[in-house]
Amino acid sequence: MSLPTESSSHAPSLSYLAAKLIDEARKAGATYVDALAVNDTGDSISVRNGAVESVEREDAQGMGLRAFVETDRGLAFATASSSDVSESGLKKLAEQVVLMARISEPDPNAMPPVGANHPDADELKEWNKKHPGGNPGWDIGQARDAALHCEDVARHYSDKITNSEGAEASFGHNRVAYASCDGFAAEYGKSSASISVSVIAGSGEGMQRDYAWHRARHVNDLRSPELIAEEAASRAVSRLNAGSMHSGHSSIVFEPRTATSLLGHLVGAINGRSVLQQRSFLTDALGQTIFPDFVNIEDKHDHPEGLGNRLFDGEGTRCSAHSLIDRGVLTTFLTDRYTAKRLNMQETGSAMRGLTGDIGIGSSNLIWQPGSHSQKAMLKEIGNGLLVTELIGFGVNPVTGDYSRGAGGFLIENGEISRPVQGITIAGNLKEMFANIELVGSDLSWFGSTAVPSIAVSGMTIAGQ
Amino acid sequence: MTMCCMSSQTHTPASDSLPVSEDTLQSVLSLMLPADADDGDLYIEHSTAESLALEEGRVKHVSASTHQGMGARVIKGEASGHAFTDRLDPAALMEAGKSARAIALSGETKGPVAIHPDHSSPALYQNINPSEGVDFLQRKTLLEELDALARSLDPRVKQVFANVSSSFSDIHIIRMDGGHLHDARPLVRLNISVVVEQNGMRETGSAGGGGRFSLSRLTEGDEAKRLVREAVRLAILNLDAQEAPAGTFPVVLGPGWPGILLHEAIGHGLEGDFNRKGTSVFSDKMGQQVAARGITVVDDGTIHERRGSLTIDDEGTPSNRTVLIEDGILTGYLMDRQNARLMGMQPTGNGRRESYAHPVLPRMTNTFMLAGKDEPDDIVASLDRGIYAVNFGGGQVDITSGKFVFTTSEAYYVENGKIQHPVKGATLIGLGHEVLQKVSMIGNDLKLDPGVGTCGKGGQSVPVGVGLPTLRIDELTIGGTET
Repeated sequence: MSLPTESSSHAPSLSYLAAKLIDEARKAGATYVDALAVNDTGDSISVRNGAVESVEREDAQGMGLRAFVETDRGLAFATASSSDVSESGLKKLAEQVVLMARISEPDPNAMPPVGANHPDADELKEWNKKHPGGNPGWDIGQARDAALHCEDVARHYSDKITNSEGAEASFGHNRVAYASCDGFAAEYGKSSASISVSVIAGSGEGMQRDYAWHRARHVNDLRSPELIAEEAASRAVSRLNAGSMHSGHSSIVFEPRTATSLLGHLVGAINGRSVLQQRSFLTDALGQTIFPDFVNIEDKHDHPEGLGNRLFDGEGTRCSAHSLIDRGVLTTFLTDRYTAKRLNMQETGSAMRGLTGDIGIGSSNLIWQPGSHSQKAMLKEIGNGLLVTELIGFGVNPVTGDYSRGAGGFLIENGEISRPVQGITIAGNLKEMFANIELVGSDLSWFGSTAVPSIAVSGMTIAGQ
Repeated sequence: MTMCCMSSQTHTPASDSLPVSEDTLQSVLSLMLPADADDGDLYIEHSTAESLALEEGRVKHVSASTHQGMGARVIKGEASGHAFTDRLDPAALMEAGKSARAIALSGETKGPVAIHPDHSSPALYQNINPSEGVDFLQRKTLLEELDALARSLDPRVKQVFANVSSSFSDIHIIRMDGGHLHDARPLVRLNISVVVEQNGMRETGSAGGGGRFSLSRLTEGDEAKRLVREAVRLAILNLDAQEAPAGTFPVVLGPGWPGILLHEAIGHGLEGDFNRKGTSVFSDKMGQQVAARGITVVDDGTIHERRGSLTIDDEGTPSNRTVLIEDGILTGYLMDRQNARLMGMQPTGNGRRESYAHPVLPRMTNTFMLAGKDEPDDIVASLDRGIYAVNFGGGQVDITSGKFVFTTSEAYYVENGKIQHPVKGATLIGLGHEVLQKVSMIGNDLKLDPGVGTCGKGGQSVPVGVGLPTLRIDELTIGGTET
């Protein structure tokens, strides 16, 4: 089987594009400007029932531009993106964004891209040496073999496995160049490889599906296809014959896979932009104790296992490791330069940049510090309740923290797993759920840029029969 | 290979907007397709999008994007090869074609199944950029007026967020059989969201609308103002919401957007890919009763200017009205060309992709239930003790087990047939193959949603629509906190 090879590229360099865009925008009348140029190259191969099902190859580039113009009432800005890297394409993009900025309403608090706390040249050099990016270590043939092997192990894990949704292996790398009109310019690369598999146990109306995946910066850091296969298959089999359970108040153990969503809700609520917009249930919680004192959560910009590593954020602001929750206390909101100014807070280097649209805010690598209980010990201590292994739906009100989601998992009786449960909901309020955390597990698990252990919460409501 | 244009008034002369020469594309096709390929196509897209967003009374966020590129695809049996590039120069296109071809050297040919020639389809929307004739200043003025209106409606309104966006996608599909199809798709959307505050308590409400028409439809007329009133009404209502009950209760769904029930519980499970693979709970239920008598559910991509409508799908197949459930019996699947061929069925015009950089999947268009005979008021009055749910946020489904959820954003507790009080957002959970069997009353008031749906599958988002008449379901699990 002959497979596609690396394509040759004759495109202009990303750093050149970013610098050129700044030039063009200034010529078009922008007072301040910053620009991004990105290139994504990726391959993925999916297999099903032992045969290749699809091969995909992507080679994409894009540029984003943010321009501020001076008006008599302050600075106004706009953003625009394009994939046309021709000289005329760059000029058109620059003219378009300046035109749009002139229509936009000025903001007296606008933070133009000048004078940010940028990393220096030595830091950049050292970072790129430590995080070279580039090919994560597969060619398409090796990825295919990994996917085939992974699916094969999963399908043959047990005779209860009846069908397969297939396995997929993908790998790729991207490069990003950022430049701002204060002279800061930097380029960096990132790479990742991933493998996933999904299989079905049982038949007819009794079918149950489950999956497993892992993503790492380099193939050498990936969990083995066998381990991923066994996790997916054993999970699917363990869900067979799931039934409902009685409604009532209960303690709930979130395994790491579902506990990541709790971290997601926290980060959404301490996003400086949401706080400023009063669209967060933690708007007034800075400096308050919102978790028990044994809860510690950090945002680490450089971690050997995390996929969220970054030296600087989407505005060129230097990132640093910081605590979000220190012994239960909310220590900071996450900010970009604008929200830091408006909230009168330190910048946390949390600007997330897309090619176009407003700047978002997000964490780098989130780590919930593990506790001392194994998951087994947690179940023992809880006695009776529910181990949640699956959550579905979007039932979280970010303004009030009201929480109601579809769930599946296992009934905990007398400190042990007794039977699989599905078709129920769990409900509460995130503020109370955070405060009612009883135990934090020792089983820290990484999911991309989030690391979290099992978490036990008391006092939630289960709706079932 | 001969070229032809689709014979219908809808398709503008194809070469008008084609950013690459026909000759180049033909060379890519011949290079890419091995003699034994079952199918293959090139998909060339040029899209622009613009968005204005207001917050704190100011239109501070103005953004635009342009993207173009080509997706090349070769299909052989169950296997497919895809390559995506955003460089439309001949060398890059050839490279993409070669990458797509690689797969076909390994796949096993199933042999072509005759696909009926496409019928010509009338245009469902105009071939115009929806932002044409409505300049940035008009859009900005609209958002400022809506902000002022929201704040004037109630002093408890503390924050107003308004967003108006438009996009225009021009696509060309060059098929292995020589067909060259073209579609130009306008799409607009207006969203309003408010935060209200009372005695230190905050709540939020939002409303939106749109479709495949000109932005002028939103800047003129009263629809935009109606959406503002709706967002404020919902937010204020939710300030007084009490805890929702937890457990199994009868539920009455209001008309319109609650049709998300059909999208999650039924629609996804009938998509061709899951059924070919036997991974859907509906896989072996064709011809069986899956819903109460009297229930008919259709997926209809042919409704004029609807958000979920398509003149042709992303494989060039004209949109259809596909009956999924007729009088309670499962009758139809939603098909793209590959899954149709493998299942010996016909494509239904449901092959969709988010963009040139995504593979084609069978997807829904506008999915709704036909009206019944019951009066909506009688249906609500039939509840002894239950929930009347009028508005929802999002939903999700597990195709394999049939479990689905959707979450209320406006719902009331009803006792003895009378509405008592609003309840907080709660997730409802059920099984797709069971829920419609528990329907006991169907309203005469079918309504389609206001044009706000986006469906996610396999990491791809596409615009869709839903619709429902008022409906009574005798038993559904409600995820409240009150036991």
